[in-house]
Amino acid sequence: MPRLTDKAWSPYLAGALIGLLQIPAFLFLGTALGASSSFVTAGASLAEFLDPGIRGIRYAAAHLDGAKNWWQVALVIGVAIGAFASSRLSGAVRRGVAPVWQRATGLGRGGRFAMAFAAGFLMLLGARIADGCTSGHGLSGMAQLSLGSFAAVAAMFAGGILTATLLFRPVR
Amino acid sequence: MSVFAAILLGLAMGAAFGFLLEKARVFEPAVILGQFQFRSFLMLRVFLAGVAAGLVVLAVMTGFGWAKLSPKALLPMADIAGGLVLGVGIALAGACPGTVLAQIGAGYKDAWFTLAGGILGALAFTYAEPTLRPVLDMAGQGKLTLDVVTGTPFWMLALGFAAVLVAALVGLERWRPWREEIGAEADGLLPPHPAAPPAAAVPAE
Repeated sequence: MPRLTDKAWSPYLAGALIGLLQIPAFLFLGTALGASSSFVTAGASLAEFLDPGIRGIRYAAAHLDGAKNWWQVALVIGVAIGAFASSRLSGAVRRGVAPVWQRATGLGRGGRFAMAFAAGFLMLLGARIADGCTSGHGLSGMAQLSLGSFAAVAAMFAGGILTATLLFRPVR
Repeated sequence: MSVFAAILLGLAMGAAFGFLLEKARVFEPAVILGQFQFRSFLMLRVFLAGVAAGLVVLAVMTGFGWAKLSPKALLPMADIAGGLVLGVGIALAGACPGTVLAQIGAGYKDAWFTLAGGILGALAFTYAEPTLRPVLDMAGQGKLTLDVVTGTPFWMLALGFAAVLVAALVGLERWRPWREEIGAEADGLLPPHPAAPPAAAVPAE
């Protein structure tokens, strides 16, 4: 039996339980699991302090208000809370930067911070262009047999594989 | 549903999601990089298990009329260009838009920079969206799904596809058990492959 204090659970069990989260999403919100549009809600809400005119952009306005948008912001904040709880229960608490980055890139802490910022920018730019990420297109789109999601997931793996093989040293 | 209730539900569902992402170890950068370098398959194991469970859930829920699907439209330009950029970002971040929050929860400091870059990236897209929209919608096909295209009932295809995924995962587990990919620190970082001893080091006997 998996215990709350275990560092790792079977990826099949954990993955399948993640898939079951589609039940409350569809039942209570009529939508599928997703993560990346919450970044638009967060970004546009912050930007609205400086630029109230952002509401004039239909895409921004569609992400600023309403239960579904703030449900997803709450969802990703909840992800941090859940991971915090799990890592404290098991003792797998992380500090600083994962050692894999030194091995794969040779970068120090500062270099890794700059790289992470650029990576986050590209990740969300791409996710918003594609209208979904690993959750929205991956978990949810593929579970709905959406052809667009199959294409997006294939392209995502292609981009990731190219980057990780061309830019990084082997991680083992 | 009121915004307040939606936020409470989101926090509860997110906490479960984050807990499971952490237990699955799929939020670890070494797991993401390892997958993209075909050295570890943990990400695929979690991902395909999640898709398989989702397929079964949606087959049942739509079959009984408890849920209506909400697939995204097929936009070839947007899906492929966006997917590629997203994939580059995931490899460089060692995270997905969802798992970056799990990295923050577990304690990785660089994830805060990924998050900040992500919010800026989403904002940049928001400002560019009215200009980009005509290009992204080019050759758009509407909400095409495999069941509609093939004229097969959704539940039938979904259960069949789930069975294929489960069979693939059984095969993957037989080929290499998942525990071999967790690593000593449970961070998915595996020891380097032992180098073949140089010929000169082998005793002449």
